[in-house]
Amino acid sequence: MGRWVLLFILGVIAVLMVSPLILTVFTSLKPTTELVNPPWYPPISPTFEHYARVWTDGGFSRYFLNTLIISVVDAIVMIFIASLAAYAMVFMEFRGKMILQVLFLIGLMIPVTAIVLPLFQIVRSFGLLNTHLGVIFADLALAVSIFVFMFSSFFMGVPKALHEAARIDGATEFQIYRRVVMPIATPAVVTTALLEFLWSWNDLLLRLLLMTQDEMRTLSVGLLNFQGTMTRDVTGLSSGTVIMAIPVVLLFLFFQRHFVRGMTAGAVK
Amino acid sequence: MFLDPDSKLAQRLNPILFLLPALSIYIVFAIYPTYSVLEYSFTDWDGINPERNFVGLENYQKLFSDKIFWEAFRNTFVWSGVIIVINVGLGLVIAAMLARVWKARLLIQTCIVLPVVISPMAVATIWRWMYQPTGVINQVLEKIGLGAFATPWLGSPDAVLYALAFAHSWSTIGLSVIIFLAGLQAVDEDLYEAARVDGANPLQSFRYVTLPALRPVTAVVFILTLTQSFKVFDIVWATTQGGPIRFSEILSTYMYKRGALENQYGYGSAIGVALLVIVSIATIIYMQIQNRQDR
Repeated sequence: MGRWVLLFILGVIAVLMVSPLILTVFTSLKPTTELVNPPWYPPISPTFEHYARVWTDGGFSRYFLNTLIISVVDAIVMIFIASLAAYAMVFMEFRGKMILQVLFLIGLMIPVTAIVLPLFQIVRSFGLLNTHLGVIFADLALAVSIFVFMFSSFFMGVPKALHEAARIDGATEFQIYRRVVMPIATPAVVTTALLEFLWSWNDLLLRLLLMTQDEMRTLSVGLLNFQGTMTRDVTGLSSGTVIMAIPVVLLFLFFQRHFVRGMTAGAVK
Repeated sequence: MFLDPDSKLAQRLNPILFLLPALSIYIVFAIYPTYSVLEYSFTDWDGINPERNFVGLENYQKLFSDKIFWEAFRNTFVWSGVIIVINVGLGLVIAAMLARVWKARLLIQTCIVLPVVISPMAVATIWRWMYQPTGVINQVLEKIGLGAFATPWLGSPDAVLYALAFAHSWSTIGLSVIIFLAGLQAVDEDLYEAARVDGANPLQSFRYVTLPALRPVTAVVFILTLTQSFKVFDIVWATTQGGPIRFSEILSTYMYKRGALENQYGYGSAIGVALLVIVSIATIIYMQIQNRQDR
């Protein structure tokens, strides 16, 4: 089998893989009159009217904002809490370290799906239903152990001598964390931010359960709801889908290497 | 932070300060619910009433004689089986082809991995549209002369589970391709060279060099795909909600219906525990294989 045959087969697979996305973009740009054409016909006179409609009347601007707030806060807070915890696990000696190790390990095994019922009750008992904070806490809790392990394995590669030298110079642990260790940990920081943002942006189940009021909905719940009430609004649905997909697709195209590394490392989620 | 860094107090306090933010959130919103799901599963709680009674193993007994639970259980296995065949089998073949190609490799890889970042909710919307009776899939089948196979995919009892599994595979196979590619890059080039000198054709060198070398990586992808497919909720919920009737009911959707929608918290939790046990066992096996490989 020649290289060209391989390249041809792979090319066909690649086209098949992206075609559902391209067809969705096509549909979202078609004026209603062009919907009679087969889906693989590109739009002849493209229009953004469906986007405008979904964005304002469909409430997607509000959903977009909610999703963005939650995902950005998730990503930023995750960097800090996971790296601080990993720092303690790697550079400090204390009693009960083994127990904590096991406790974090359990977090890798808990499927979110299995514990959503009690999670709902806890978020409710804190009065955090229909708040950004409730979803953020749940997101952080359910992914933090993966990132603690990710930072830990990165920190273990930091020469112990570097840490020792800073200690001898009289630096506090927090100063070492901030000035010595974190600056070298940039790759782990980028991976954490990207991956947590992606998971948070894409999740449906937690948001479905914890956000019941319309003005608190995220894109995933908004799209689900829109799909339920506007079954026949093909252009509206595809515009909503594209609005939800664009930010993560752009992030992926810009940071593909980081994503690929992160997705393999964080694959257990 | 203003303490003498060498003082006893600082050394005791520091680990607590560093761990507190992560640990408090983690314990309250992940560990405690995990404990609670076990606890609920032994009660008859409805999720609202402050009163709940300990009923021992009643929920689990009910589970064993619940026909719908076993249907969901069977569906979950069929669902995972289909996804494993596609993601492990096809994933390996695609990765092996990709590893032999230099031109346009990044572009092709990007196309294959791109769907991985798309939200399951968006995936559900896209495929629900494509699977419509008059949708893209059926139109294409007509065009290429396979119109006899056209069917209302998501409304057909025979096709629905496979159609959804296929859509899920579309959105996840990129991950297996990446993992396989990483494994392939670790295979010694000399082995291929030796096989070529011995007169092996590309298919034979795939069979006798690539496959044996990739056995550990294949195990990793296998277990990973298994655990991931067991946890799926979004794509099924957003398309069929387990229907038509119960032909695409999987454990997660059944649990959600019983627990969150019908307020049978105790019973729903027992289903959750079943899911927890299966996924945990699979994950432990996954980590064991990973560890052995790292050594």
